[in-house]
Amino acid sequence: MKAYKCLTSDGFGVFSRFAWPLPDGEPGAWVESEVATCRSGIHACRSLDLPFWLTPALYEIELDGPVDEQAMKLVAPRGRLLRRIDAWNEESRLAYAQMCIARAGELAADASPRIAAWAPTPEQQLGGAAQLGFMTAQVAELLGGPDAYLEERRRQSEWLVEHLALA
Amino acid sequence: MPESRRDFVDGYACREVVELATEYLEGAMTPQQMTRFELHLNLCDGCFTFVEQVRATAGMARSLSEDEIPEETKVKLLEAFRGWRNE
Amino acid sequence: MERLLGGDERAFEEAVADMYPTMLAVARGYVRNRTVAEEVVQEAWVAVLKGLERFEGRSTFRTWVLAIVANIARTRAVREARSLPFSSFEIEDGEPAVEPERFREAGQPYAGGWKSFPTDWRTLPESRLLASETFDLVGRAIEELPDAQRTVITLRDVTGCSAEEVCETLGISEGNQRVLLHRARARVRTQLERHLDA
Repeated sequence: MKAYKCLTSDGFGVFSRFAWPLPDGEPGAWVESEVATCRSGIHACRSLDLPFWLTPALYEIELDGPVDEQAMKLVAPRGRLLRRIDAWNEESRLAYAQMCIARAGELAADASPRIAAWAPTPEQQLGGAAQLGFMTAQVAELLGGPDAYLEERRRQSEWLVEHLALA
Repeated sequence: MPESRRDFVDGYACREVVELATEYLEGAMTPQQMTRFELHLNLCDGCFTFVEQVRATAGMARSLSEDEIPEETKVKLLEAFRGWRNE
Repeated sequence: MERLLGGDERAFEEAVADMYPTMLAVARGYVRNRTVAEEVVQEAWVAVLKGLERFEGRSTFRTWVLAIVANIARTRAVREARSLPFSSFEIEDGEPAVEPERFREAGQPYAGGWKSFPTDWRTLPESRLLASETFDLVGRAIEELPDAQRTVITLRDVTGCSAEEVCETLGISEGNQRVLLHRARARVRTQLERHLDA
């Protein structure tokens, strides 16, 4: 199963602050969960989970041992980073942001001001990808309920898979 | 993906998140709670910063640890020890 | 511990040095007055030495010592009750970690969200954050906390006790301990924020 790891731009876990051994032509070193963090295991995500966890640096990760598939993430006892997904860069981040903003605009076109207030504006296109995705999905939910929220998130995931050639 | 919005995820409001900061830092959440919490932190700079501030506050407290025992206390305790030892 | 039984003075000095801040913090949880608390710690050491041969090792030595401190402190506090309020570790109702005004009202977009984000302290000049003035403020803020909160944050964050240790010593539940720690940290954070934002 292909899995992904979102790190800070300098290669640290967002919550664990763990300094991940980065791939450099070759996969990075294996990391055991006790080393990485006092929390449970190595965390990673599937492509469907990506929109929720996006950070400036995206990697492909190989997990080892029994993988616990949770609602929003994968947890395993061991993992190593295989490669940085270079396609996720400043340019594609901007494109993703613009996509989210456009989608929100489309959804909110005939919506009440209260709902439209959630839609991110062009000025915000330099904001975090996770935030923008959330705001757009939130507009969808306000208009179409929880299913619409999830549908919007799926769309975001599909956009990423296509534009970053993740399949 | 969660089956329904109810399983969800970035559903905390910031007002709730700040009350859960210590529970999170103590590792006292269920895996699902922790996921929900981190999803929120990932999309909310305000709460992310807040949790970092709580961490920093606890860290600064650590530096306050006094190692100095009043001389008089040391003397009294040593006397007590010798007294006990000689019984 | 065997060394203490053997009358090793160096071992005693080491044990005292190692445990003093924690023992004092426990004592001050019950008798606020520092001088009285120091007396409690001294009394506790006498009791520890007297009970050393009978220590069965059912808990760790440390936990056992802290329990003795707590017992003596509680007794002392009751005796002094005329002049000092007895410390209670009961949780009282809701003390929000952050002033409600910092968040948007219901019905607004981002209801329950921050009106303005807290400052990332890492963006402050290090000289500001790590100034002795800042540490003094933290120390003062802790001193000014209600007794129960002050005791828990001192034991946990200042002297580095584990949650289990604190719960066992003070005779409170983990949840109770966590609420006290949360409120204490929240108050100190608020003070720090005011100072650093000024």
